[in-house]
Order: sequence, then structure tokens, then C-alpha cells
Amino acid sequence: MTHITRRDAFKLTAGGLAAASGLVAMPAIVRAANYPTRPINVVVPFATGGYNDRLSRAFAPYLDKAFGQPTVIVNKPGAGTQLGNTYALQAPNDGYTILCTSASPYIPLTVLLQNAPYKIEDFYMINLPSRDYTLAATSADSPLKSFKEVLDKLKADPSSLSIGVQPASADYANMVLVMQAAEIDPKKLRIVTYDGGGPARNATAGAQVDVGFVGAEGFLPLKTKIKPLAMFSDQPVEWYPEAPLASASGVKSDYVEGSQRGWAITAKLKKEQPEIAKTIEAAVEKASKDAKAIEALKLQDLATTWYGPEASNKAYLANAAKMAKYVDLLK
Amino acid sequence: MLDFSAFQDALGLMFTSAGSWGWIVPGLIVGLVFSAIPGVSITMAMAIVLPMSLYMDFFSAIVFLTSVYTGAGYGGSVPAILMNIPGSPSSFATTFDGYAMSKKGQHNEALGYALFASTICGILGYVLLLLVIEPMANIVLRIGPVEMFAVAVWGMLLLGSLGSKYLTRGLLAAAFGILLGTVGMNTAGFVRGTMGIPTLLDGIPPIPAMIGLLAAGQLLTLAGKDYILDAEEAREVSVRKILKGCWGTMKYPGVLIRGSIIGIIIGAVPGVGSSIGNLIAYAETKRTSKDSASFGKGNPKGVIAAESAVASAEGGSMATMLALGIPGGGATAILIAAFMMHNIVPGPSFIENQKPMVYAIILNNIVQALVLLVVGIGFIYVASSVVKVRTRYILPAILVIATLGTYAVTGETAGPITLFVFALLGFALVRYEYPIAAVVVGILLGRMLETEFLRSYQLSGGNPLYIFQRPAAMAIFGVMLISLFMTAWGKRKQAKQEAEEEAAMEALHQQELAGRKS
Repeated sequence: MTHITRRDAFKLTAGGLAAASGLVAMPAIVRAANYPTRPINVVVPFATGGYNDRLSRAFAPYLDKAFGQPTVIVNKPGAGTQLGNTYALQAPNDGYTILCTSASPYIPLTVLLQNAPYKIEDFYMINLPSRDYTLAATSADSPLKSFKEVLDKLKADPSSLSIGVQPASADYANMVLVMQAAEIDPKKLRIVTYDGGGPARNATAGAQVDVGFVGAEGFLPLKTKIKPLAMFSDQPVEWYPEAPLASASGVKSDYVEGSQRGWAITAKLKKEQPEIAKTIEAAVEKASKDAKAIEALKLQDLATTWYGPEASNKAYLANAAKMAKYVDLLK
Repeated sequence: MLDFSAFQDALGLMFTSAGSWGWIVPGLIVGLVFSAIPGVSITMAMAIVLPMSLYMDFFSAIVFLTSVYTGAGYGGSVPAILMNIPGSPSSFATTFDGYAMSKKGQHNEALGYALFASTICGILGYVLLLLVIEPMANIVLRIGPVEMFAVAVWGMLLLGSLGSKYLTRGLLAAAFGILLGTVGMNTAGFVRGTMGIPTLLDGIPPIPAMIGLLAAGQLLTLAGKDYILDAEEAREVSVRKILKGCWGTMKYPGVLIRGSIIGIIIGAVPGVGSSIGNLIAYAETKRTSKDSASFGKGNPKGVIAAESAVASAEGGSMATMLALGIPGGGATAILIAAFMMHNIVPGPSFIENQKPMVYAIILNNIVQALVLLVVGIGFIYVASSVVKVRTRYILPAILVIATLGTYAVTGETAGPITLFVFALLGFALVRYEYPIAAVVVGILLGRMLETEFLRSYQLSGGNPLYIFQRPAAMAIFGVMLISLFMTAWGKRKQAKQEAEEEAAMEALHQQELAGRKS
């Protein structure tokens, strides 16, 4: 049995006070050794139920384990992620706010088109496991058979087929680029605009439009209702191998990646608190490689592949540069 | 059609998972309470509880969330009837006759009518869903922009029903509302009227705007009174009268069925939702009814029509969600997320492989509608006690709750700011006798009108003859025109009767003005 005397108590308190004052006085970098000591906010700049929200919630238990601290999902939807991004940038630079977002296309889009009060380089990617590509598709019972047939028909008469697409999106840019490569005047096309991928996909599956250019992943539940014509990627996509590549039509065109989703922090944190940034990187890596996490996320069609900060930042910056190059097509 | 062996399996599933039934009552209560708070819509109520459902097993989570959905469909009508402030946009049309009934001291009956219409049509919607889930989903996908534009125009016809003193001010108010509805980025990517505020890129948030507009006028009217109801003997809460209202609903099977059909179809169309179904059901019921002059003055048929469309829309949008895996509206988007979080992807293959589960979900929803009847009466009993409280206590409470409601869900000050700006606007509109309801209809329908018209234009390449390729759109416009013509014809006959009514209304108006001055 231990007896705590008044003297001991005093010693303890004094020690605690000394430790606390030491903590305050210590430079920020050293303090990082104790990170994290409280729950970490994961900012999702979308409403509950979207891909990023599901990704963050499904990943959270494994991330909690890797951090040794619980994570709290904070949904900050609005203005094409601009509100959530701004929120994350304005949070204290202490590593207790990280982002789970669709970095591309939303960060470049808000910068290029909405004059968002931040730069593309203000964000630092930890890992972008989910990649999506534009898919040109038609309804399952459509007479159209291949992307070549579509391009031939449009070449003969640009208004012969209607095209469903979301304006100011990567899909729109890819559509215009491939039309230009096939020497079809995009201005003469019958383009029907949709204010989101979902409505554009429904219109494609329901044969409201002849051809739809939309992010491929969202088509997966509707797979039986559509016929894939052209996937805008370099290699066949792992989760949709039967979709032919756009280059199979014989027309070669540059393209922008549909979306890159995953984990990010602010560049400021990476620069000023490299130790904390390292801890976050290590935690995301550990959770991404957790066999249980991989299994659980796979069941929900969510991605966990670990590419790491280097590859992720490279992909993010390259795609952002491409979007800047084709900014006129995005407007 | 109904697959009997799957149906039997579904019954088995229902009884073996009896534990999940326990979530019905909490779900209904959560739905009722949240959606009765002005400023919190059905979608928001479900979004709030979504993370909670993560910790339940699949069937329990779906039972819980659909119970919230069912409860929220009805909850909005309680403040709509008692205070003329709809709890959520889908109960906007309920205010027209519901509040008028309350003013006559028939709030118990009105709530009963609304509750029973909700229950019956909720069941009706799901029964229909049970029978035709697959064909229906495929039809829904075929509905294109021209058809949707026709539906939006149909909704605008409601303006004809919102009788105001000056025709020109009514039209001006509606045009103003439509303009407000189109603020933000449109479907072609053009940005209008955002004044450089990023939040406005997504448009004016319709819920705080609506609450602001309606509440301002209403609260000012109430502020002049001691109680919501003038007559002291009317300020009672009577289960007998509520039940009388419930029973009275049965007298209008035509209204229930028409409301349900409109609700199911509009609910099933992706991206429209119940906030438009109730407007169209109300307008149609009023126009086709013999006593259309008494609508807006406390005709129970108005309450029944609006509520039946809201309740049945749930079945409609569940059809699209289960069969296609695409959300009919915000609430089903949340449900899809819940499905996915339990590793189940709704859609064609889900229906094919898990038919018993689909039927079990549908059957459970029918049970929910029945339970709503009991829970609903209890809820009404508590909620309608508000008529016994002095307005000086109610008004500040409503203001605070509405402000918190618009803030709490997104945690953005955009909600309360919108509420405040539109409250001022609402005050000005009331002051100069512009009909607020017309502005609200404009806000709710403006975006849809523009979007669908623009898409029709893009699809047709500007050729108006395109409509001849869309028989369904022609049919909708045809029915609309015939219905309008018949009404005009009937109106001529009733002209004399109408004139008398007009005089009575004018007298009422004068009385009200005199009352406000004193």
C-alpha cells in the first residue's frame, strides 16, 4: 500500500507544473513527439453518403488504431469543396485536421474557375488510392456498337447524336479533346448539360441522350443498363476490365483523369511541422496496408491501395497542370 | 409481378429478425421530431442519424432509417397545420388548408386527416411498389427533360390556386420567386446572381429561405394575438376529434388515390422529390373538385391531397433506389449510403439475388405506416398543446429553434443568414400585400423549370417539333390542357356562385385589415 503524503502530492504537482511549463516553452517541432494526444478531425468537403464520406467512415476504425487516437468525421459540403477546403486551410496548423477529399478535379476546378482563395500547391497529398476515369457509354439497348461508330456518325453529321455531359468537368474536357482529335467541331454537337454525374448517368442509362461522358465508377451499379464505349485511361481499368479504351477507336487524344480521391493535409503543415506530417503519413500507410482494412473496404467498392505521398502528389500536380492547360475547355 | 416464394421467404425474414422491429418506434419519433422543427428537412433528419446506423446490423439499420423517413414525411405537417409554418418543404401545400382549418378551431381534425392520409397512402405507395417494382423503375429511367418540364409547368399551375387580391402582384411575386430559384450555377455551368458569395454557387438554400419568408409574415400576425387560436373553447386537444379526422379521411378515396399516384410517380423520378409532389397533388385536387372555391379556406380535401402525395412519394423513391440503385431524392441518397456502408449495393443485381430482402424491407415499411398511426396520435397530442401556450412564449421559441435548425445541420452560418434576409423580404412582401406563397412556389420550382427547359432545348437542338417524338410529354401537356379547359368550363357555370364567395372573401379581408389595425 502506498501512502501519499502532502509532500509527495506537492512534489507531484510541482513536477506536473514544471512538465507543463516545459511543454509550453518547447519549440513546436519537439512537441510533435507527443502528437497525437487528442481526437483528429477528418474534414470531408461533401455531405454524408458520398464516396469520400463512405471512404472516411469505413477507413476510420483502422486509422484510429494506427493513430492511437479516435478520428472524427466532419462533413463540410458546399461550393464544389471550396468551403471544406477553406475550412481545412484555416484550421490551426497542428495536425489535428486532415482532409479526405476528391483532390482532383475539385481543388484545381475551384482554383481555376471559382477564384478560390487558395492555390493548388496549398495542399499536400498523403495518398490518393481512388482513381476514376471518364467513360463514354450508351444505353444497353442502343444500336450504337463502338466508339468508332459514334465518331464516324458525328463526323458525317455532328448533330446526329445527342451527348450528355457535366459542364466544367474533366468529362467535358475529355469529350472536347477527343472530338477535336477526330476533327469534329464541338460547337456543332448537340450537347445536353447535367449538373452532376448522377443525373448524366441516369440520362445515359435511360437513353435520354445517345452517348454520355461521365465518371466510370458511378456506372457500376447500373452496369446492366449500359454499354461501355470508351474508357479514357492508358490501361484497362481493374474494376471495369470489359470497358474498351478510348484509343481503341483509332483516335488518339490527350485526356484528364476523372478524379483522384483520398487523404491530404495542408502544405503548410508539411513544411512547418514535418514531424507531425510524417506521423500522419505513417498512420495512413499503416491503415492502408492493414489486411482487415483492405478486406472491409473492398466489400464496399472503396479503394485502399497505398501509392504514398510522392506518387500521389506527382499524379495530383500533373493532373492539375493538365487541367490548367485545358482550362478553356472546363469553362 | 409478385414473386410468391420470395414473398414467403420475406415473411420468414421479417419474423426471424424481430429484434430489428424495435427500431421502428425510435425511428418514427426521431423523424417526427426533427421534421417538425422548422428548417430541418427529411433529408437532414436522415443525414443526422446515418452515422448512428453504422453500428447496427443491416436490416436494423434500414428499418431505423426508413422509419425516420416515414416519420419525417408526416412530422412536417404538424407545424404546417398548427402555425402555418411547414416543418419541411414537402409539407408546404399542407399549410394552405391545414392552417385555415386550425383558424376555425379544427386543428385536431386537420391533424387527424393528415395523419390518416399519411398512413393510408404510405401503405398504398409500398403495396404498389411490392407489385410493380421492376417495370416501374424502368419506366422512370425513360422520363426525360421534356416530360419533366411538363411536370414543372403543371406545378406552376398551382399559382392559379393561390388566390390573392391582385393578379398582377401574384404574377410578379411568382416571377421573383423563379428568379431567386435560379440563382447560382445552372446546369450549363453559367453563374448568375451570386454576388461573389461562394455559398450561393449552389443556389439559395431553399429551406431557410422558405422558413424565413413564411415565418416572418406568420410570426408578425401571431405577435398581435395572445394565443394562436382566438376562441378559448377551441384551444383544446382532443383525441376524439383527432380520430374523427382520421375517420373522415376515408370519405375521400378519390383524393387519396389521386394524391398517391401523383406522389408515387413524382417521388420515383430521380432528382425531384416530394417537395413538388405535394404542390401538384394539391393543385390537381383543387381544380378537379366541385367545391374548389372552399380550398384554402379549410377544406379537408386540401390537407388530404397534400399529405397523401408526401407519404406515397416514399414508396416511389424507394422503387427507384432498390431497383436501379439511384436516389430519387436526398432521403434515398442517404439510404443508399447506408446500404453501401453495410456492403450492399442496391440496384438490378440486388433485386435479382436478394428478392426476399427487398420484400422484407417493403413489408416492414407497411408495418411502419401502421405503427405511425399510433405513435403519430401520441405525437399530435403532445405537439398540439402548443395552442394552449401564449404566443409571447411560442414566438421566441420558434425563432430560436428555426435559427438553430438551419444552422445545426451544416454548421454554416449561411442558413441563419438566409433565414434572416428572407424574413425581412417576407415582412416587406406581407406589408405590400404580395402573396408569399407564390414566391415560395417560384423558389421550389424555378430551378427545375429552367434546368429541364434548357435540357429540352439542348436535346432538340432548338427544334420545337421534337415534342412529337415524346408521346409522354405530349400526354402530360394534353391532360393539363384538357383539365384546364374543363375547369374553365365549370367555372363559367359557377360564375354566379363565385361572385358571392368573392364578396364574402372581400368582407373577410376587410375584417382582417380592421383587426390588424386595432
